[in-house]
Amino acid sequence: YTFEFHTATALPVYMQQTSQPAATVAAVKTTGNTWQTFKKPGTMQGKTQKPKAPPKPQQLHYCDVCKISCAGPQTYREHLEGQKHKKKEAAAKAGPTPSRHGASLRCELCDVTCTGADAYAAHIRGAKHQKVVKLHQKLGKPIPSTDPVVVGGTTKTSTTTAGATVGAKTTTSGAAATTGTLTAADGKKDDLKDDLLDLKEKDVEPVGQEYIEEIKNEEGKVISFNCKLCECRFNDPNAKEMHMKGRRHRLQYKKKVNPELVVEVKPSLRQRKVQEEKLRRQQLREEMWRRREEERLLEEEERWYWEERRRYEEECEYLDWCRRYPRGPPGPPPMMPPGMPRPPFMPGMPPMMPMRRPDSSDDRHVLAKHAEIYPKEEELGAIQKIVSNTEKALKMVSDYLAEVDAPKEQQVKPKAKKEKEDDSKGEDDKKDGEKKEDGPPRMLKGVMRVGILAKGLLLRGDTNVQLVVLCGDKPTRTLLDRVADNLPKQLAVVAMEDKYDIQRVVEEAALVVQNIGEQRISVNVTLTSPIMREQLLHDGDSQVIAAKDPPDVLDKQKCLDALAALRHAKWFQARANGLQSCVMVIRILRDLCQRVPTWGPLNSWAMELMCEKVIASAGQHLSPGDALRRVFEALASGLLLPGSPGLLDPCEKDPIDAASPLSAQEREDITASAQHALRLIAFRQIHKVLGMDPIPPPKFQRGGRFTRKRRRDNSTGEGNDSEGELDGGDGKKDKKEDGEDSKMDMDKETK
Amino acid sequence: MVMTRGRGRGMRGGMMRPMGPGPHFGPKMKQFVPRLPFDMVLCESAFPRVKPAPDESAFTQALLKRNADLSPTPAEQAAVLNLVTKIQAVMDNLIVDPGNFDACQIEEVRQVGSYKKGTMMTGHNVADIVVILKTLPTKEAVEALGKKVCDDLRSQEPQEVLVLTMLPNDRGFEISNSEATVRVLVTTIHQNLRKLDPELHLDQKILQSHLAAIRHSRWFEENAHHSTIKVLIRLLRDLRGRFEGFEPLSPWMLDLLAHYAILNNPSRQALPINSAFRRCLQLLAAGLFLPGSADTLSAGISDPCEGGNIRVHTAMTLEQQDLVCLTAQTLLRVLSHGGYKQILGLEGNSSIASEMSVWDGVVVSALEKAYEKPPERPPQDDDTDNMDADDDPMETTDN
Repeated sequence: YTFEFHTATALPVYMQQTSQPAATVAAVKTTGNTWQTFKKPGTMQGKTQKPKAPPKPQQLHYCDVCKISCAGPQTYREHLEGQKHKKKEAAAKAGPTPSRHGASLRCELCDVTCTGADAYAAHIRGAKHQKVVKLHQKLGKPIPSTDPVVVGGTTKTSTTTAGATVGAKTTTSGAAATTGTLTAADGKKDDLKDDLLDLKEKDVEPVGQEYIEEIKNEEGKVISFNCKLCECRFNDPNAKEMHMKGRRHRLQYKKKVNPELVVEVKPSLRQRKVQEEKLRRQQLREEMWRRREEERLLEEEERWYWEERRRYEEECEYLDWCRRYPRGPPGPPPMMPPGMPRPPFMPGMPPMMPMRRPDSSDDRHVLAKHAEIYPKEEELGAIQKIVSNTEKALKMVSDYLAEVDAPKEQQVKPKAKKEKEDDSKGEDDKKDGEKKEDGPPRMLKGVMRVGILAKGLLLRGDTNVQLVVLCGDKPTRTLLDRVADNLPKQLAVVAMEDKYDIQRVVEEAALVVQNIGEQRISVNVTLTSPIMREQLLHDGDSQVIAAKDPPDVLDKQKCLDALAALRHAKWFQARANGLQSCVMVIRILRDLCQRVPTWGPLNSWAMELMCEKVIASAGQHLSPGDALRRVFEALASGLLLPGSPGLLDPCEKDPIDAASPLSAQEREDITASAQHALRLIAFRQIHKVLGMDPIPPPKFQRGGRFTRKRRRDNSTGEGNDSEGELDGGDGKKDKKEDGEDSKMDMDKETK
Repeated sequence: MVMTRGRGRGMRGGMMRPMGPGPHFGPKMKQFVPRLPFDMVLCESAFPRVKPAPDESAFTQALLKRNADLSPTPAEQAAVLNLVTKIQAVMDNLIVDPGNFDACQIEEVRQVGSYKKGTMMTGHNVADIVVILKTLPTKEAVEALGKKVCDDLRSQEPQEVLVLTMLPNDRGFEISNSEATVRVLVTTIHQNLRKLDPELHLDQKILQSHLAAIRHSRWFEENAHHSTIKVLIRLLRDLRGRFEGFEPLSPWMLDLLAHYAILNNPSRQALPINSAFRRCLQLLAAGLFLPGSADTLSAGISDPCEGGNIRVHTAMTLEQQDLVCLTAQTLLRVLSHGGYKQILGLEGNSSIASEMSVWDGVVVSALEKAYEKPPERPPQDDDTDNMDADDDPMETTDN
């Protein structure tokens, strides 16, 4: 390589380049363009260029950015369009790439950055560098010094070197500029030396010498090296040294030999790419989650909406139901015609809580049945009328008897009493009290409603109601006669237009008031007195026993029964009336007892007591259907059977089973019947128990039996439990039955 | 720039969503309020006794006698224990040192069932062992394992006569000697259950039931070790064996029923055996194992070894539920009229459950089935899109 050669060959190229100051890329393009329009329109640039580029010196196609020469114009163009070139170009425009780690050495000529002094030295010695130098010499380009340019490192040097690099790159043609750059680089030489020293000191210790084996030739001369860790070979001892310090080798060493080794993190381009990719993917995922979350919220909102909607419709349905059965259980039944002074005729009506879902199949059947057995308005009216009249008349009889018995008081009392005639039953008690204070006791102290009348258990077709007259003393036949004699007169006064027939039933300690009309309603009026029971309560007291009964005293047991009926009515109002579903179930059972002979022997009081206890003991509100089912469950589990605790009567002093009148056989039969009824209810045949037609499900269906979870996987396994008996073939059976279930469902839905 | 923003959002997102998409809760989960059927023991306070409870010592004695009759003799127990120990030892050996046996790998061997629970009955000297395989349970593997175990046993004691029988449905195998039988039930680890091929491997349901058996015996050990429970289970199993109507009750249902009857009471003290025995019949008669009404589903007994509030009795068909209930109802009436000897099998026969009988002048009649098979009818359109699941009365029966 001579200097002459260099200048001589380089000159023409040089000239050409100066005449077209733009980069070679631009030159080719612009000239190509003119030629194209000039000579061969429509043909490709590259093809036209070749024959149209006569100057032979152009053979050297040099890319200044990449510092390479190309064999021909085509390869050159291809190179220019190639990615590698574009990248370099972009990098050049952006300025020198900042070094990523500490200081690095850079070969200006080749635009190569080396991580260490050794690497740099190797580069300078290397074939590639030599080639570039040769090329540059050929082109007559300036050759920068082989002293490395330190990039990065301390801030002081980095700025200067950066400037130098840029200068070197941009001044491709101006020699002055090149020298300027060189001088700049020269001027900084001392600093650079220091930096290089720093770099060298920082150099890493080579590791894993023992894993590098030397390969010798026959003469025993080392010709190459093999790194067992990295499975690579090199010939140059320098390369070996560098390899041992190299990152890759160290990583392998860390991985295979000593995990403690610290290898500096160097995010390579690939790693960075991977990381970026990761980030991007994460971002996408976030996006997806966000969207999914939004969808979920939306869906939830929609669900809420439908839930609300459903509830609304349900309520509508409920209201509709109320309208269709205006006197049905959900609302209070229409009471007395307005103007009636008496309190509601049916005090037994429980305050019906508006039930959230009165629409299970059982509930609907029970409600419908209840509406069916509940008395009609006319019936209630008729009964109310006769009862009310009888009460008024009895009051007047009481006044009359008081007048007769105590003529002194007759001036004052009757008037006062008349005023109070229309007062409620509750006031009767008060009057009793007043009278006691007033003077000699009245014979008839008050009249009370008992039985179904007081409890509100009247059913359709009931024509027999009970009143009890409390007497001041033990009621006698004489008293009964006196009342019976006087009552018709008073009744005529109270109700002139109605005709009543009055009979005495001495053996029942009662008289019966019957209206004369197409609808015969009879009111049993029983005479009794608390004194009858007092005697019983103070059993051991000789004094009371000594008190002699009047000779014609009425039947003692009947009188006691009437007193018990009074207590029962009080108990009922205190306990059963407030209990949800209880009164309704009792009415239903009353109907059952009347309808089914097996249940006939079950007396009303025992039945009421049982229902109240069973329903109250559930500890939770029960819908009518559930309450009825629970009563049957209680009976089915043997509540009436021998050995059970029995139904302790809360209205008696001594422990007495309210159901004691039942014989063993009757108990057995009722239990068996209840057991069957329970299973009928469980298997959706409650209508058979209630004696009615099945009610089709409402049009508005909310039964999604398609979401239910089947228990397929488990059923067979446990059906023939592994621990126990072996019997195969269970699975098949089960499946078949499952099918039937759904059929049954369907059946119910569509009925 | 973009990257930074992206990361920022990512982190925000990450905070909002702690662990991926959580379980989706509906807007308002309908609370499941089980409505227990009437249970006298639970509401004793509402029913004060009118007269003192009748003396039941004779009944109690009869129950205890029956239990003694049903319990295995010491000789039986020793025989089955002996065989179980030997087989267990062979299996343990296979786990530790499989040697050249490569047909399968054993993960674990567990004793289950009545042997493990201590509820064995005399005359039925069978113990159950569940073998969990690490490998997939092929039929060949089960056979090979059976052979291997049998061979090992024979090599230990060449004079003993052992019979190896493969169980039906490839559930496992049985090894019996003259006095006892050990049933080896094969299953596999949970991870393998998904990889099963019905062509090659044992039925998944069978495998799962064997895994469930392990859970059951574990639950039993922890919760039902009370002696009264074991006695009651034995009595109930005997009842199930003698009365056809109780056939659908699985041993697991009986275990749970006995546990419930004895321990589920206000005082949490074990009930005496006579009360508990009667209570079992009362609970069944009151419909503990019947489908519930619409909204408040009948509670039944929720399976403690399965998630999702599965009620054990729903493994029975509706018809079977009816049958079990009516049998219990009839027997309860017989019992209350003093027929405990017939119920316990000390006297008479099982006809009392299905035929009329007379007790002290009281005629006790048998009951009829209430369940009716719904008439065939073409499937109708039905509102498939209606997803509100909670008021289908029949839901109880099949989930």
